[in-house]
Amino acid sequence: MELQEMQDRVREQDDREKAANAYVMSLVALMAGLPLPIVNLLATFIFFMANRKSSYFVRWHCTQALLSQFFVFILNTISFQWTIRIMFGDLKFSNEYFGYICVVILVNISEIVGTLISAVKVRKGKESNWWLFAPLTNVLVRKDN
Amino acid sequence: MTQSRVDSYLIANSKYFESHQVAYLRDKLTSMEDEKFDLVLAVQLREPSFTVMISLAGGSMGMDRFYLGQTGLGVAKLLTAGGCGIWTIVDWFTAQSNARKVNMENLQRIVG
Repeated sequence: MELQEMQDRVREQDDREKAANAYVMSLVALMAGLPLPIVNLLATFIFFMANRKSSYFVRWHCTQALLSQFFVFILNTISFQWTIRIMFGDLKFSNEYFGYICVVILVNISEIVGTLISAVKVRKGKESNWWLFAPLTNVLVRKDN
Repeated sequence: MTQSRVDSYLIANSKYFESHQVAYLRDKLTSMEDEKFDLVLAVQLREPSFTVMISLAGGSMGMDRFYLGQTGLGVAKLLTAGGCGIWTIVDWFTAQSNARKVNMENLQRIVG
């Protein structure tokens, strides 16, 4: 029983590192993939697939990172397309555009800060539940398996 | 196998495996016949930190996958220029555990 407990503790250390990597990797991919918004989503998805057979803790945090990236991806894609259409298409700068861009920038900054905080917290073994995404993750990730 | 032999092997090589696998490996090696020890020693173990360095330096050419003996994935990574850079980034963070996984698989072929 003692040996089992020790093994579980050691495994927990490995899991913390893997789960924290999910957040750190999404940040690195975000920086590397600018201005294309799909790069960080794809990177997080590949990381999620690579860890799909890992423990519940790792899968949970990979899914939360993936969901948050998906949300940001939708916002960024719309702003990217809007900007391209203004630059090369028929649209013109408008107050709505500037308002939307401000919202997107704020969301991106809070996502980056949240990701950093989560990476640090998870590495220390603390819980990091995001508004909206944590309940969704609870629904999507099953404990068995 | 004698306990002292198993211990000295694990002291020298535990960094090549996931830390939670060491206890399992100790059990397996202890229950193994002495004759197989030479085979265990002959298994080429991949250095996890070196794999990360290769991944950082030549990941876009699939060098890390070639080093791990995953030729198919290496060629795929080479032809896609590291999955347009995305696969390369992911591998920076998974290279260590990939190396440890490969080491465990190689050893399990002998240990059973």
